[in-house]
Formats: sequence, structure tokens, C-alpha cells
Amino acid sequence: MSRLIVRTVDLSKVYRRGKVSVLALRNVNLQIAAGEIAGIMGPSGSGKTTLLNLIGGLDKPTNGRIFVDGVDITALGERELADYRLKKVGFVFQFYNLIPTLTALENVEIPLALAGVPKNERRERALNLLKMVGLEDRAEHKPDELSGGEQQRVAIARALINNPSIVLADEPTGDLDSKSALALMNLIKDLNRRNGQTFIIVTHDPIVAERCTKIYTIRDGQIESA
Amino acid sequence: MFVWSIAVRNLRRRRLRTALTVSGIVVGISMMFILLSLVSGMESQARSMVRALGGADIIVSNSTSFRNGMGGPLGALPSPSTLDESIVDAIGGIQGVYAISPQFSFSCSINGRRITVYGVEPKSYEIVTGGLNIAEGRFLIENSNREIVLGKALMEFLNLTVGQTVSLNTGQEGREQTFNIVGVFETGMFFQEYAAYITLADAQNITGEYGLITQILVKCEDPSIVNDVASAISSTVPGVRVTTPTAVLQQANQMLNTLTMFFATIGLVALFAGSFGVVNTMMMSVTERTREIGILKAIGAKSYDIMKIFLAESLLIGLIGGGAGVAAGSILAYLFPTLTSGIFAIGISPFGMRNPFSGAAGRGWGSRATSAIIFTTPAITPINIIVCFSLGAFVGILAGLYPAWRASRMRPVEALRHV
Repeated sequence: MSRLIVRTVDLSKVYRRGKVSVLALRNVNLQIAAGEIAGIMGPSGSGKTTLLNLIGGLDKPTNGRIFVDGVDITALGERELADYRLKKVGFVFQFYNLIPTLTALENVEIPLALAGVPKNERRERALNLLKMVGLEDRAEHKPDELSGGEQQRVAIARALINNPSIVLADEPTGDLDSKSALALMNLIKDLNRRNGQTFIIVTHDPIVAERCTKIYTIRDGQIESA
Repeated sequence: MFVWSIAVRNLRRRRLRTALTVSGIVVGISMMFILLSLVSGMESQARSMVRALGGADIIVSNSTSFRNGMGGPLGALPSPSTLDESIVDAIGGIQGVYAISPQFSFSCSINGRRITVYGVEPKSYEIVTGGLNIAEGRFLIENSNREIVLGKALMEFLNLTVGQTVSLNTGQEGREQTFNIVGVFETGMFFQEYAAYITLADAQNITGEYGLITQILVKCEDPSIVNDVASAISSTVPGVRVTTPTAVLQQANQMLNTLTMFFATIGLVALFAGSFGVVNTMMMSVTERTREIGILKAIGAKSYDIMKIFLAESLLIGLIGGGAGVAAGSILAYLFPTLTSGIFAIGISPFGMRNPFSGAAGRGWGSRATSAIIFTTPAITPINIIVCFSLGAFVGILAGLYPAWRASRMRPVEALRHV
């Protein structure tokens, strides 16, 4: 069996909504091997996004531990966690979440700028990635001048720019037509095969599920089957 | 740096809001700028007036100011009363006196033009007053004979050049003498340049008032003891009047400082009001872009990076406001004399500008002249430009601190949930 890249140990997350506590995750023990395209499926409110946010270091668990490449990210401080998000993981969201005032190229450049990479190198690497996702001729366009599929490909390029070992995607095809969804999944498969990056994708979409190497189903805050 | 492109583009995206916010700063800065320029204008005027009074700390003269006689029936200017030269030693012995220089001033006509002539001892005069501002040629030297230094305006009026000779006439029979022009002095104040300097010996010789002087200029060991020395002189030497020009200057400077503080406070209040606009705009900007903050944090931005983005935005508002404020203030300052012609010259006397100077300039000059001369033109100085511009930037940063801090503290998951 190949190396584990993500391992959660008794992971729990409780949200407090005023006086009511909502148990979003309970004792989740999940293991994802490096190089997988892991699909996380389940009904709404089952805790899929919570799990993804915890693995991505966007949120802190109430209990339990998360090991990424052997490092316990639940023990990291605010700054280290930001660094982890910058260099170790890439995020792709359902609604693309590009910065509306910046061009496609600049959006892809942001993580490099945050990492302190000099401008010329930034330009070159961002252009290369835009080429890889097939958008080199749209580099100077703002997000509102791009289609949904194009925006999502820009978002993928942005997620990949710092060569993360994991790409986390939350319903990446949720706002796309089936043709764009298919193109996106083919791109993901291609990137996975070429670079060996691990993808963890929360989805409802059968087009996505069919192309995952493994599916985890989550229900009522627990992993049901592996 | 992408921090700046984000900031610039956000300001551009909301042009009207940016313009309104900036204008709040512009009002404050331009107000500040014009008021400071006004004070600078007064300052430079005060400085050039006082320079011509000489650097003497104390001027001792006869307690009866003027006497008649030398001017003759047509005499335009009365001549000061005289003192006996022996009191020079009496004053020189008073504690705290550093140096003294006797002087004999009298009214006289040069090539038909009536002016005031000062007879001085060149060496001690330079020690006590710091010397004249010589524009051409040189000042008098010790034991120089029949040499004269004239004011620049007078030279131009009489169409004279250094090296020529002039004839001095006191109006008395047989009292006409010829002098060589060796130098030209400049004060920047037109009326003060209608004067001439010769040696004390020559002055006594031409007037026939041997052993007499009209003023004694005193320099003290320390500027802080001027008033003590002045009262010591008036109590030990009978029949003298003591004036203290440097004290007048200090007083004027104090008043100018008060004026600066007063004006600066008005400007600061306006600026303070404007800065609330910046805080408000930045708070709105932070709320509007909550999701953007979430995205940036999700892709690895640290709190510090978020803070920088918003601070850059408010700094830009401050810089634009400061720049536009200085520009608007400069235009207003330039137009100021036309807008207020005459009014301000009167309006200024409650601050005490006119009185000290008319008194100090009363060394043979009517005090009427001064009120016409104190007509303040704002001076646009580099210091004021720098101060006002950086103040704009500073207010921008300051007003942006809280909003930027709020932005940087947002939790990524919650910020991302924001629609």
C-alpha cells in the first residue's frame, strides 16, 4: 500500500449555534493515500465541507488529530497554519472565489506573491500554469469576463501554483454545466497522473464520482464506508 | 507588489466613494496648509524686519526721544537726543553685559535726499549686532576715514555705485563733507535701506557733536538675562531709556508660535473630522470584501498580509488627500492676498504684530510705515508642503489601522461563508 498523506484520528467538530451544539463530525478516522483522487460524498449537512476545511487548516477541530505527511496540523499556530495553507495545500471552491479586481494571471500569482517569489518568476510560472489549464489567451481577463468553467480552471491553476501535495476541492463542478464539469475532471485526472498530486474532492456530482480513485461516504458526521 | 494593485483597483472600483472620502482629507490638509503658510509669511516678514534692527539685545538712548535743531526749517526727520560718551563705560561695567557699541545717528541729506545716518564703531558694532548684510563691497573698518556704506534701495534711488563719492549735508553752515562709498547693505525691507553708515568719529566730526552719542547698543552674555540687564541699566544710569529689540523678536516669535498652534489646531480638527470619513469608508470596504479576505486567508495569506492590503488602501487615500490638499492649499494661499486685500493687515494687530514692530522700528522711523508694511503674504515653504503631505499620509494610516486590524482578525471559514 502506498504512503498515507492524510490521516485523521478520532476527529470531532462541534459547532455552537447559540445555546445549541451541533455535532458536525464525530470520531472520524480517515486515511487517504498519496496520489489518490478521493471523492467525499454524502447528503447535505453530513459534515463533508467541515471535514475538508479541517484537513485544509481553515478550521480547528474540537477533538482529535489530523496528520498531513506525518505532521500534526492541529498542533500548528496561526502563522504556521497560514504557511501550511500557502505551501502544502491548494483550495478550489464551488463558486471559484477569484479576486474580482485582479486579472486571471494576477489571481494565479497571488499565492506566489504571498510566498515572496519575485515578480518575473511569478509571471512566468503563472503563465505556464494558465497554459496547462488551457487559458493562456485569457490571462489578462478579469473573472467577470470569464465563463464559469474558465473561472474554475483559473482557480485550479491558483491552487496548483505553489506545487502543493494536496488539492482540496469543495463541489468544484457544482456550478458548472456537464460539459465543463467533464473537462474539469479530465484536467484533474491529467494533473494527478502527471504530478502525482493528491486530490480530495467533496461532491454530489456523478461525473466527478466516476473519475475518483476512491470514494468515502459520510453520513451524520461519520465515515460510512471506505 | 500585489498589495498595491489590489488597493489601487479597489479605490478605482468605487470612484465616487473614494473621491468623497479623499475630499474630507483635502479640506483638512488644505486648511492646515494655508494657515501654516500664512504664519510662515508673517515669520519671514518679522525676521527681515528685525534683522535690520541689528542683533543688539538692548538699545540705550536718552529718555527724551527727540530734539529739534539740526533739521532746519525743512527738516523732515527729527534727530534723537544725545548722551554723553562717558556713560558707555558706566554701562560696560554692569554685570551681564558682554559687549557694547556706541552709535550716533542723525538726520542728513545725501545728494539732496534726506536719510538717517548712523555713526558706528565698526569693530564693536559687528560684535554686538552681528554686522550688516553686505550685498556689495565691504563694511567700514576701524579708523576708516570718510567712508560710507549705503542701503541698496538708496543706492538704486540715487543711481550710485561702489567707489563713487557722495556729499553729506547736515543742513548746518559749512557742514558738508564728501564720503567714499565702500559698500552696500541689504535688509530686504525697502524702508530700512534708506540709511547710511559711517564711523562714529566721522559722525561726530560732521555734526560737531564731539563726545556725544545717541544710542548705545548692548549685547548680553546670555539672551535669557536681557531683561535683567535692561532693568539694571535703567536703574543705575539716570536719564536713559532702554529698549530690547531681541526681546521684542522673542515676543513676536512667541506670538507666532501661539498663532501656529492656534491655526494648526483648527486644521487638525478639520482633519480629524475628515479622518472619520476614511475610517467609515475602510470599515465598509472591509465588510464588503469579507469573502475576499476569506479567500486570501484560505490560499495562505497571513493576518499581516491582510492588514497590509487594507493599510495600503487607506494610506493611498491619505496620500491622494495630502497631495490634493497641498495643491488646493497652494492655490488658495496664492490667491489669499487678492481675496482679503487689506483686511488681514488690520486683523492681525489684535495678535500684537503691529505694536512691537512699530515700537522697535521707531529708531528714527515713524510707526505709520510699519502698519502698511505688515501686509501678510502667505509663504509656501518646502517644510509646510512636507508637513502637510506627510500628515495626510499619517492620517490615512491611522484611520486605516482599526479597519485593517478587524479585517486581519477574521476567521477564514466564517469569512468564506459571507455572501
